[in-house]
Amino acid sequence: MSEPHDLILAARHVTKKYPASNGRILVANNDVSLNFYRGRTLGVVGESGCGKSTFMRMVVSLEAPTEGEILYRGQDITKLRGEALRQHRQKIQMVFQDPSAAFSPKMKIMDIVCEPLLNFKRIKKGEKEETARRLLEMVELPGDFARRYPHNMSGGQRQRVGIARALALEPEIIVCDEATSALDVSVQKTVVELLVRLQREKNISYGFICHDMALVQSLSHQVAVMYLGNIMEILPGGQVSHGCLHPYTQAMVGAVFDLHMDFSHPIRSIDSEAPSPLDAPAGCPFQSRCDRCMEICKQERPPLREIAPEHQVACHLYQ
Amino acid sequence: MLNIRDIAITYGGNSIPTVEGVSLEMNQGEIVSIVGESGSGKTTVIRAVLGCLPGGGRVIRGQIQFEGTDLGSLSRDAWRSLRGSSISMIFQDSGAMINPIRKIGPQYVEYIRTHQRISKKGAWDKGVEMLERMRLPNGDNIMRSYPFQLSGGMRQRVGIAMAMTFQPKLLLADEPTSALDVTTQAQIVRQMMELREQYNTSIIVVTHNLGVAAYMADKILVMKQGRVVDAGSREKILNNPSSDYTRKLLDSVPVMGGDRFV
Repeated sequence: MSEPHDLILAARHVTKKYPASNGRILVANNDVSLNFYRGRTLGVVGESGCGKSTFMRMVVSLEAPTEGEILYRGQDITKLRGEALRQHRQKIQMVFQDPSAAFSPKMKIMDIVCEPLLNFKRIKKGEKEETARRLLEMVELPGDFARRYPHNMSGGQRQRVGIARALALEPEIIVCDEATSALDVSVQKTVVELLVRLQREKNISYGFICHDMALVQSLSHQVAVMYLGNIMEILPGGQVSHGCLHPYTQAMVGAVFDLHMDFSHPIRSIDSEAPSPLDAPAGCPFQSRCDRCMEICKQERPPLREIAPEHQVACHLYQ
Repeated sequence: MLNIRDIAITYGGNSIPTVEGVSLEMNQGEIVSIVGESGSGKTTVIRAVLGCLPGGGRVIRGQIQFEGTDLGSLSRDAWRSLRGSSISMIFQDSGAMINPIRKIGPQYVEYIRTHQRISKKGAWDKGVEMLERMRLPNGDNIMRSYPFQLSGGMRQRVGIAMAMTFQPKLLLADEPTSALDVTTQAQIVRQMMELREQYNTSIIVVTHNLGVAAYMADKILVMKQGRVVDAGSREKILNNPSSDYTRKLLDSVPVMGGDRFV
């Protein structure tokens, strides 16, 4: 189990609101509190529009929360400005979904992976090729790729370059926003194995956003389930398939097509679609699609409650 | 019903075929999944069945027979009456197939009136009826919407409704659920399975999601670099694959509650 001193980053009651048309307000994140621990992976799942990317963008300081604080080793990073913020960015890096859009097509691979190092004057220009080779070998690419351009590589190779760039500054946290979703399954597996190996060697903490439940639970120490900007359940990755309690998590797990499932049973799923976050209902956000909805769910929003070690649920069924 | 015999397809005068040696026999009411990684030629195969290979693609060898007719010998007019009525297709994002600056209704009416002599009012009503059958509540409202006003799942249902308008014998689905959330994906898959129960439609579904492919299919075709590396019943492919590639592919799929990386 994680010791308190392993806590690197803690989001505390983070809320993000965006103004929308007609004076309405879109609540993308509502009172989200999540922790990043050393050497551990936090997976975030949810349907599109649930606010998982918004949350991670706040973690990497690409967006500022409307309310709440994000504490990095005790210091609120949402208050950082100017040079202090720039220096802080070295600690938290990001790998993007589409590796072909994440790089300038006119830059060579060695310029791409060394750019962060040059920005922070960690290396001199003369050391570029040598450093790039070292980084590429770390992500299991041939060092000669340093002289290539991004378009001369396959999608899986490009994603490895993305990981090499994120690793260059030796960050403590790497956020992967659907980093393996654009890849074929066999390539996806090798990239995931690489990420896991790097985590063991360097004790990196990952924030992993993904819509593939099966993948997230297989590589996360902790999984947070989000719905309309709210955290519905937080549980250990190994418990997702059999130990999840929230009706929403259960619906998501039930909708996964698995090679070992019983094909004679019709697939279960929720019939409706998620409402727009603009008109999220009062009370439990999931009430409109929940088949176990009670009277209290329409009036009161259930708070997150710890029901077992490392397992929290926001649902009136378990209050 | 459909018989693909050892076809080879090239693009733009290329001497090496992109797809080679693909054969498939299908009966009415059967569902076949074609799986493989990107660039393996799975989409090329079903596009050849619909006779709409892009970029100068041509079938250079072999034959595709649909209900006894050789599709290669059809005239343009014969194709036009076949496509969209006896054989139709669903794309990955049906929203991209609909003109974004026109409302859905007029486009749907236009499509129906291309294939059937019917009044505009009659075509509109038929469209509304099909949308409601595909569980889109308030079809009239949908007909009056622009594609961007609908969610991804709703757009996909519009695509299925349009493809099913003339109750085709064969439905081709190219990655029909890849752009959708898991919950919506399950709904769409269930709906496609119901099409077979209701209309006895044969379906070829192209997907890279092996779970979806296995759930839907009676038969599975595994493709790699333009060749079929494995073909057979679902049980055979999942439990007893004949090629190492299939085994590797199955092994790469993350499993709920299965092996963990950490």
